[in-house]
Amino acid sequence: MAGVVVKGRFPRRQTMRVVATNIVRHLFYSAARNWIRNLGSIAPALGSMALLLLMSGIVGLSGFALYNLEQVEAGQASLLHVYIRDNASTTDVNALWDRLAQDRRVASVDFITRAEALVRAQRIPGLPQLADASESNPFPASLDVQVKNINDVAAIDTLARTDIAVDPVYPTSYDKGAYQRIQAVVFGVAVAGFTLLGLLAFVAVTVTINSVRAAIHSRRDEVTIMQLVGAPRWMVRGPFVVEGAITGALAGLVAGLVTFGLTMAGISAGSGTFTQFAPGVTVTVAAIAAAIVFAIGVGLGSGSSVVSLRRHLES
Amino acid sequence: MARAYGPRLALDDVRLALEPGELTFLVGPSGAGKTTLLKLINREIRPTKGEVWVDGIPAHALKASRVAELRRRVGVVFQDYKLLPRLTALENVAFGLQVSDLRISDAEAIDRSLDALDAVGIGDRGAAFPHQLSGGQLQRVAVARAMVTQPPVLIADEPTGNLDMETAWQVMDLLEDVAASGTTVLVATHNVEIVTRLQRRILTLVQGRLVRDQPAGAIGSMAWLASS
Repeated sequence: MAGVVVKGRFPRRQTMRVVATNIVRHLFYSAARNWIRNLGSIAPALGSMALLLLMSGIVGLSGFALYNLEQVEAGQASLLHVYIRDNASTTDVNALWDRLAQDRRVASVDFITRAEALVRAQRIPGLPQLADASESNPFPASLDVQVKNINDVAAIDTLARTDIAVDPVYPTSYDKGAYQRIQAVVFGVAVAGFTLLGLLAFVAVTVTINSVRAAIHSRRDEVTIMQLVGAPRWMVRGPFVVEGAITGALAGLVAGLVTFGLTMAGISAGSGTFTQFAPGVTVTVAAIAAAIVFAIGVGLGSGSSVVSLRRHLES
Repeated sequence: MARAYGPRLALDDVRLALEPGELTFLVGPSGAGKTTLLKLINREIRPTKGEVWVDGIPAHALKASRVAELRRRVGVVFQDYKLLPRLTALENVAFGLQVSDLRISDAEAIDRSLDALDAVGIGDRGAAFPHQLSGGQLQRVAVARAMVTQPPVLIADEPTGNLDMETAWQVMDLLEDVAASGTTVLVATHNVEIVTRLQRRILTLVQGRLVRDQPAGAIGSMAWLASS
């Protein structure tokens, strides 16, 4: 005959400290311990997530650079250089200047002398040699017309190019369709980037969901017992979500560091060239991108776990 | 209440009430609906029709988010024990206690778990892992885990199914003690000898219908054996 179960009232410490300790143990300690134990099954998810996040970081920075490039191009495309004929009179040039300045579509008009044009040209890669090769200054004076709306550049060009003060051979810098071509390229690159990211995200989420499912399967007895003894849902599900978050955080950390490292390497390899090809991508921007990649990793890992739990755990 | 699995009725028009401190046997042939009835009480499933009330909680209408609240009032003992192999006997009991109530400290959980193990007669085996325990000892740990939270209801699904007769009697003694402390105990079993000798209330299910509700002390036939 066994002893008698005493149904007395046991004292209970209803302190926040005990509750907090138990929450930390059941959620975080348990999750960390299980994460280490299941590292083998988690590794594919970790790898694919790190790859996805690295690609996200690179594509994101590239997108940012492309956006800046487009903005620079848009600014340049809305700046119309109206080249002045060599022997144009000051009166004719002033008349053209006034006519353009009074146009509501024009933001500003600046007169650039031949000497200023030469100085400006010498700052452009390749042009200093061209300028040095000629004994005289080959660059004409111009009126730099900043047009408010890029779509009005063609009309302003039409207005200016037949003027008597304008060079009849090469009247303006207007290149019909140049800006549209840049936009088309940027749009194409963006679509390709988002498609690639979408595919990678799908793969990473699928692999993560499967790894969480495997983790649930390997601990099904524990889960069943927890549910049967009345563990609240958050206590049953929480550790799996934390495990997913750990996976995502680690993948995000690796991807973030690699993204930051690659950017830094690019900057230090050739700051002038890098700035030209990736305008606006600075050390700060790279650090922010790395932080975003890390945050996305945490969100992706925990989010995938939640989806997997909804599918594979009793509600 | 009634419960169907697709077109098949597992339980059909079953009406019963269990009293506090009562040990009741649930008997019937395989597939009669015994496990289904236990699952309804523990809200592992919902009835297709009717109501299930457990200690004042409407299990039939309980949202998934509140199921844990009901299960803390129902201790469960299984034929296969369902103990965690990587935890000791003491840790298994404490685990059940702490996941059901976050306000219980480690020290209190250990104290109460030791008390529970003492009560089922294996207080000296707390440090043993499940693979180091006999079937009877494993079932005692399972009973201790089910009772440590002091639930008002305890259900047991074939708790003696894996045990020899002597050990089975020891486990039944334990369940009688649990009932004597005021807990409602419902035991699903095939063990005719135990059911006959203890002369407790017997509910007989056949093909999902409650065909007999025999009060404690009465002597009735075991006609269902013919179909089991």
